[in-house]
Amino acid sequence: MAEAIFPVLGTIFVLAVVLPVSALLTKGALLALERSPWNSPLHGLEGRYLLLTGSSALPLAWFLSAGVHQTETGSSLSCLLDHHTAALCFEPAFFTATLVLALFSVGARVLRRHRGAPSSRSASARALALRLEALIARTPALGPLRGRTVVTELGGHALGTQGLLVRRVAVGVHFAATLSDELLASALAHELEHVRAFDPLRYVALELALALNPLGHRLLGRHAAAWRGAREAHCDREAVLHGAAPLALASALLRAARPGPSEAVALGAADASLLRLRVGLLLAFAEHRPTRCCRRGRSGLQLAVAVLALTLISPHQTGTAALDLLHVGAERALSYLWS
Amino acid sequence: MSFRLRPGKRGLELRLHELEAATMEVVWSRRWAAFTVGDVLAVLERQRDIAYTTVMTTLGRLFEKGLLERRREGRRYLYSPKLTREQFLEGTAREVLEGAVGGSQAMALLAEKVSLASAGELDDLEALIHRRREELEGG
Repeated sequence: MAEAIFPVLGTIFVLAVVLPVSALLTKGALLALERSPWNSPLHGLEGRYLLLTGSSALPLAWFLSAGVHQTETGSSLSCLLDHHTAALCFEPAFFTATLVLALFSVGARVLRRHRGAPSSRSASARALALRLEALIARTPALGPLRGRTVVTELGGHALGTQGLLVRRVAVGVHFAATLSDELLASALAHELEHVRAFDPLRYVALELALALNPLGHRLLGRHAAAWRGAREAHCDREAVLHGAAPLALASALLRAARPGPSEAVALGAADASLLRLRVGLLLAFAEHRPTRCCRRGRSGLQLAVAVLALTLISPHQTGTAALDLLHVGAERALSYLWS
Repeated sequence: MSFRLRPGKRGLELRLHELEAATMEVVWSRRWAAFTVGDVLAVLERQRDIAYTTVMTTLGRLFEKGLLERRREGRRYLYSPKLTREQFLEGTAREVLEGAVGGSQAMALLAEKVSLASAGELDDLEALIHRRREELEGG
């Protein structure tokens, strides 16, 4: 009983106290960013993404790593290899296992919801595959999409990038049939930016971060939605910068936004506002070619991975004082309640 | 086409009423560097019944909102746009994005589906793109 108190109370503390406090601090930082006079919603996307995902990922990574390193022998390796000392490792190992279990249960649910559209091999799908191949071959800017497209007949699917590490653009047969080559090429140019920037992976990581935090959606959901909207507008701008026709892309956007007859869709009118904003920007790009104001917006993921790696290493380098405190606190609480 | 992206929302400095949006649309689409009340009136009166004084008041409001600048030339004002359409939209983007509904799809989709009720709005946007294409190809 006494051995289980720290793993159980520790996990509850991390999930119910540390993560919500982190979400609260992150919200404060995001609000400060939004209210700063030099802030523009279409800029600073990488920083905002790091804040949103880091609010859950970094505390969890630290506690997981600390749990692994905190063994009574002072060596996590001896915990794994030496049977005599293995018994001493029970509490931190149990704590880590409980946290990992919580992560997996939420993570599996999120990932299950995001299976990509299945590819089709019907005659019309093969015809579209050939059309895409020809279009990509004669459009140099779309070269990186060679071998990265799949054709799907999934009802209502328009066009989207899927796959966490191996990214592919899934093109809906029925949607593509409504587009001329110019519109389809512009839409593919938009998706190319998602492919280049590992956006499906980013979106899943963001959603995981929000889902793992008990207050994630409540406190940060609005900021995450705004980030996604801005990210889409950013991809429109990048597509135009890489040669896509702005008006063709705007038309493709509107075709993709039209619900098919078999779909039951009920998103709020604010999405229509976002669509109008994107179309408006593309109309503006048709008059004045956009300029790239700052960084290209693809460095965020690499930076996130580097920060995560540093966080994972830090308990090994700087000690596990916070977890020690949690451990002692849980045992004192137990003895106080038990006596 | 109205650029009132969040009608009724407070705090949006550049919020435009329908006639203001129509006026800016005329200015931006014709890429006027300088224009008078009469220039705008000549275009707008082809689309609607509108008085000279209404256009004059509208241009005055757009000047006060910081979308236009003006200088006196004889007995009339000569107006010019202070912001491009892109700059205006970027300025408006914060309100739009703050109100965005979060999609749960992790796939990066070209466009979220919007409600069926907005089909008319999609038609309007398509018509606007069509007009802009004709303007650009013609000019």
